[in-house]
Amino acid sequence: MRTGFLQAMPRRPTLAACFAGAILTAGAVSAQTPVSFSKDIQPIFEASCWKCHGQTIQLSKLDLRTRQGALTGGIHGPSLVPGNPDSSRLFRMVSGAEKPAMPMDGKLTPAEVETIRRWIVEGATWDAGSVQTSAVPKSPPSDLEAGGVAPEARKSWAYQLPVKRPVPGKGHPVDAFLGVKWKERGLDPAAQADKTTLVRRAYFDLIGMPPSPAQVAEFVNDSSPDAWQNLIEKLLASPHYGERWGRHWLDVARYADSNGYEHDFDRPNAWRYRDYVIQSFNVDKPYNVFLREQIAGDEIEHVTSDSLIATGFLRSYAKVGYREKDNPEFRYEYLDDMIATVGRGVLGLTVQCARCHNHKFDPIPQKDYYKLQASLWGYVEVDHPLTSPEQAAAYRKQLDEVNARVNEIRAQIRTVEQPYRAVILAERYKKFPANVQQAIATPEAERTPGQVLLANQVTRTVSAPPAEIDKIMKPEDLEEKKRLAAEVVEIEKQRPAPIPLAMGITDGDYRFTPDGPGDEPAPGKGIKREATEGSFLHEGPDRYSPPPSHFLIRGDVNSRGSVMQPGFLTVATFGEPPVALPPANGRTSGRRLALAEWLTSKENPLTARVIVNRIWHHHFGRGIVAAVDNFGKMGEVPTHPELLDWLAVEFMDKGWSFKQMHRLLMTSEAYKMSSQFTSAKNMQADPENKLGWRFRARRLDAEAVRDSILAVSGALNREIGGPAVFPKLEAEVLTQLTNGIWRREEDGPKVWRRSVYIYRKRSMPFPMLESFDLPDQNISCGVRAVSTVPTQALMLMNDEFVVRQAELFADRVRETQPDPSKRIDTAYKIALNRAPDAKERQIGEEYLRDHNLAGLVHVLLNLNEFLYLR
Amino acid sequence: MAEFSSRRKFLFESCGGVSGLGLAWLLNADNLLASGCADKAPGAVMSAKKPHIAPRAKSVISLFMSGGVSHVDTFDPKPALSKFAGTPLTGKGDIVVRQGHPGPLMPSPFTFKKYGQSGIEVSELFPRTAAHVDEMAVLRSVFSKSNDHVQAHYALATGMIRMGFPSVGSWVTYGLGAETQNLPAFVVIYDGRGAPFGGPINWSAGFMPAQYQGTVFRPSGAPIVDLRPPQRITPEEQRARLDLLEKLNRMDLEKDPNNSELAARIESYELAYRMQGCAPEVVDLNTESPETRKLYGLDEQVTEPFGRQCLMARRLVERGVRFVQLYHGGLGNQNTDTWDAHENVHSNHTKHAAEVDQPISGLLTDLRARGLLDSTLVVWHGEFGRMPISQRGVGRDHNPGAMSIWMAGAGIKGGQVIGASDEFGYKAEEQPISVHDLHATILHLLGLDHTRLTYRFNGRDMRLTDVYGEPVKQIVS
Repeated sequence: MRTGFLQAMPRRPTLAACFAGAILTAGAVSAQTPVSFSKDIQPIFEASCWKCHGQTIQLSKLDLRTRQGALTGGIHGPSLVPGNPDSSRLFRMVSGAEKPAMPMDGKLTPAEVETIRRWIVEGATWDAGSVQTSAVPKSPPSDLEAGGVAPEARKSWAYQLPVKRPVPGKGHPVDAFLGVKWKERGLDPAAQADKTTLVRRAYFDLIGMPPSPAQVAEFVNDSSPDAWQNLIEKLLASPHYGERWGRHWLDVARYADSNGYEHDFDRPNAWRYRDYVIQSFNVDKPYNVFLREQIAGDEIEHVTSDSLIATGFLRSYAKVGYREKDNPEFRYEYLDDMIATVGRGVLGLTVQCARCHNHKFDPIPQKDYYKLQASLWGYVEVDHPLTSPEQAAAYRKQLDEVNARVNEIRAQIRTVEQPYRAVILAERYKKFPANVQQAIATPEAERTPGQVLLANQVTRTVSAPPAEIDKIMKPEDLEEKKRLAAEVVEIEKQRPAPIPLAMGITDGDYRFTPDGPGDEPAPGKGIKREATEGSFLHEGPDRYSPPPSHFLIRGDVNSRGSVMQPGFLTVATFGEPPVALPPANGRTSGRRLALAEWLTSKENPLTARVIVNRIWHHHFGRGIVAAVDNFGKMGEVPTHPELLDWLAVEFMDKGWSFKQMHRLLMTSEAYKMSSQFTSAKNMQADPENKLGWRFRARRLDAEAVRDSILAVSGALNREIGGPAVFPKLEAEVLTQLTNGIWRREEDGPKVWRRSVYIYRKRSMPFPMLESFDLPDQNISCGVRAVSTVPTQALMLMNDEFVVRQAELFADRVRETQPDPSKRIDTAYKIALNRAPDAKERQIGEEYLRDHNLAGLVHVLLNLNEFLYLR
Repeated sequence: MAEFSSRRKFLFESCGGVSGLGLAWLLNADNLLASGCADKAPGAVMSAKKPHIAPRAKSVISLFMSGGVSHVDTFDPKPALSKFAGTPLTGKGDIVVRQGHPGPLMPSPFTFKKYGQSGIEVSELFPRTAAHVDEMAVLRSVFSKSNDHVQAHYALATGMIRMGFPSVGSWVTYGLGAETQNLPAFVVIYDGRGAPFGGPINWSAGFMPAQYQGTVFRPSGAPIVDLRPPQRITPEEQRARLDLLEKLNRMDLEKDPNNSELAARIESYELAYRMQGCAPEVVDLNTESPETRKLYGLDEQVTEPFGRQCLMARRLVERGVRFVQLYHGGLGNQNTDTWDAHENVHSNHTKHAAEVDQPISGLLTDLRARGLLDSTLVVWHGEFGRMPISQRGVGRDHNPGAMSIWMAGAGIKGGQVIGASDEFGYKAEEQPISVHDLHATILHLLGLDHTRLTYRFNGRDMRLTDVYGEPVKQIVS
């Protein structure tokens, strides 16, 4: 894993940087010395120009390695006019006089620019015949980029296409496959659990909440042979099913509602992706379609609002979101996050390990990583309008008009303010230390180099607040300003109401990304590229082509190798699937669509296996491959490889349907087994129950704990979807909030929503969920941890939320059961779906003699039986 | 079951001091209590780890000066700054500042003086802390990776500048376990003015289970969130509920007597109940003598807040807490409430040093007096150093290229300076020490080999030090 990505290091190699410093120091002396190409210019070219205009590649067909190459120039014409810097494109672009400013990924120092100017004035001579070889990257990229996949590596089970072998024996396929292993190992399978346990299990499993007493009774009293199937159908049809199973996918998608890092900006539209996931599960969207929309929802044949929202999947990475264009290397991190998420989430492989070197354990050459990176490289962040294109265009037009008029009047306001601004600034400068004031007071030409720095620091960054300007304005000017300001207010009234937006991605040219909030570079720092300089989103009429991406030697952003073509993991590719499927409109490259097609192809050996294994994991508590995110060598081999394959093929054959798979797995005898069965023989042979000889009891996950409390208390607000909610947090907890948002909402029905709707703040996970092992929101997670710690006990015993819900639960019991002597029974039935036994009833009655019902039901919410799925 | 009941017995021992449970129990408890996110089936992830080598310390108190302490104004004197005052810093390549434009070189507004037998020079900001230099190893060549507060905080906290990784305290707790069950093993006390940059991610367990994450103690009131029930529940009522809970849970356990996870959960309620008693006891500083309180500066308004944090740290360590993370400086107001001296290094650092100097000195004195210094590692650091050049006249911008930190206790060789920054303090020059080296050193002092302390996550044996790091060997005598 690489860690050095945000280093505050010079963006160019040190050699050039030191060299620039030397020029600066030499100052006036060197003005007399002629500029030498080999000593002065070559290091600059080597560091900043030859990466793209050298041996490896010649962008715009410009080759700057030789004088002739520079004189001839590229597709935009000659780059060098000896003796005339102002006519030389090379100088104009590095000095910023012509756009786009060069180099693309940085900026030359003023000293470097000056050196180039003087070199051109002096005739732009090339004194070095030695340039050709020393000019190229230190080692030929071909060596560093080598790495293939040996034929034997493809023989591992995970890279072979799954095959549906005959079911070994009669009965349910799942039981038949499991039965083989039981027999082999001499294991006795557990008997079926009782109906009450089963109905509770099915509810938790499919909708994440316990059934009501009436729902239990309905199932228990249904003696028809279809009772179980009917129950499953009913639950699969429930809108709460998507909330439960969508949550599993959101873990994989590392979904959150905020950016993370220092500013942790709000993502006001992120929830639409969360709702998209929930809805997709509810409508049983085939997994191949689901994936295609999330990876290429903007490129598929029938683009819909949903498919645009779906592209939020790739954009769900934690983001620095601050002076992004000062730090272009951040983009590599976001791409890495996408590759890691698709890798472990969809393919079950640690593809991101191949970023800096060939994968140490799995047959993934580094080149495959960069092929995948090239497949994603064209991506840019966009907020897709969720209206018709006409509405969106009308909105954009109206918005532009309003902005143009507002800007025009603001400029007038600034003109009126100008004389006063100067006065205020002079006043403000006086607040700075004496050395600064002195530097500013010194005429520019007479400032020492140090004074130049001191003065610049202040004069370039200090501004005059309008309120202060107002105070000193002449009445007539102030009147004029107010009049203009009133005009702005009038114009603002025409600002169109925002249209709904989806936070997603599409293809474009990231180098021309318009500034977002917080993206403004610090004054004098970084490269601010306006959208007008180039095309952020491709408008045509020609076809879009993505900016070039490169193999990065040792993963180092500054060590570019070959330009990469898109592609996939060699070891998991059969035949030669297309690497780009450009859509008819020509606006995107179609590389992501090709990636999605490869992922969802029946010839992809991993995708179906990985997802059926995830489904299995959630039903049975342990995957057939226990390491659900890692099908590579460092993961674990499947306990039942034939079953996994059978299920994978069955899944694809039945239309990649989740609901079909639930039906299949849940109707097996294995699923219906008791979790409390034990046998010395079994414990001896398979103590970890890897072979599923009994049902695996397990603690509810974080959301299910909170949701069940709300369901049992009767307070649950069952509203589906919409913007996130902010359950009340103690003031002390809120002191941990350093940035971003947390709305202060009262404890009440508005926030008593299911936990999947709680605002997922990257820098501050919701405490109750966090203490019950909410996974880190910044990394894709397939298996949640289960820990047992005193803070969970403190929370369930003492937290105001839980105590209050217990009181509401007691109210509910009293309301539904007028007979006080039967209230213990009622409470048990609501919380645990069963009546208490005689001893429990007696203990409860004893307790109620001195204590209230709220106390008793509070205890029920803390019972192991309440917190465990059995 | 025999082991089970003896454990129960231990739980009812007194708050004060280390309970007899010790390491073995916790390691055992690891297996009982946890299973992991990621690769293995529940119960198989955590394996017990003894210290790899003879440990020099068993606890850590980390004093994090949030916002970035200027090394050239505290522990790294630079006469060259006076000599070249007012001139640009040249010959160092691009000067990367966080805000605006670089200024000229600026001498420290503080005077330096030699302290102790060793004669290590420390500025006038820390006269009392400096009195302990003969017990400190001062590392003057530490460098970090980011000039962004949050990422630099994460780097010091987790080794990574990205979110999602376990903090040092989590790694230490994971590696060594806890010595007390009455209190959390990893405690964080942050500044009353607000949380440090980056918030709770600084003490998160990342991809490890929740039991390894830091527990925030508040310096006053109920120290832990949810430590006490709402007022309408009396202590008697609470006890009655807990008794009822235990009774019913035990009946349930009889149905599945071998289920260690269920047994552990029953115990977690007793542990919580113990914590409810012990945590307030730790933060109740009234039992400390007037002399001790004075030693930590509790008698002065300026030093009282951090003095309380330091005194609580000693009490926590004394009671077996493994890792105590203190933060000085919080958000609040970034410019005035943290060490982030962009505007004026003199006023900012004068204020903050005055808040911590006596408490830190008191902590070192007190730990020594109680015989705890040998078994406790005290580490003092910020997230980065500051620039030798000025910002807008008299401030200093961030500088991850060089910073000074010091360590004391844990049998380290005091009175030594390790490494050096360049003549201006712009970059670490002699024996550069990365954050990974620092973490490797901390683990080393605790008896843990940073290359062997691994946690399997997503098919990879993760380390606090990633694939880097080397302990600073000369730190130990």
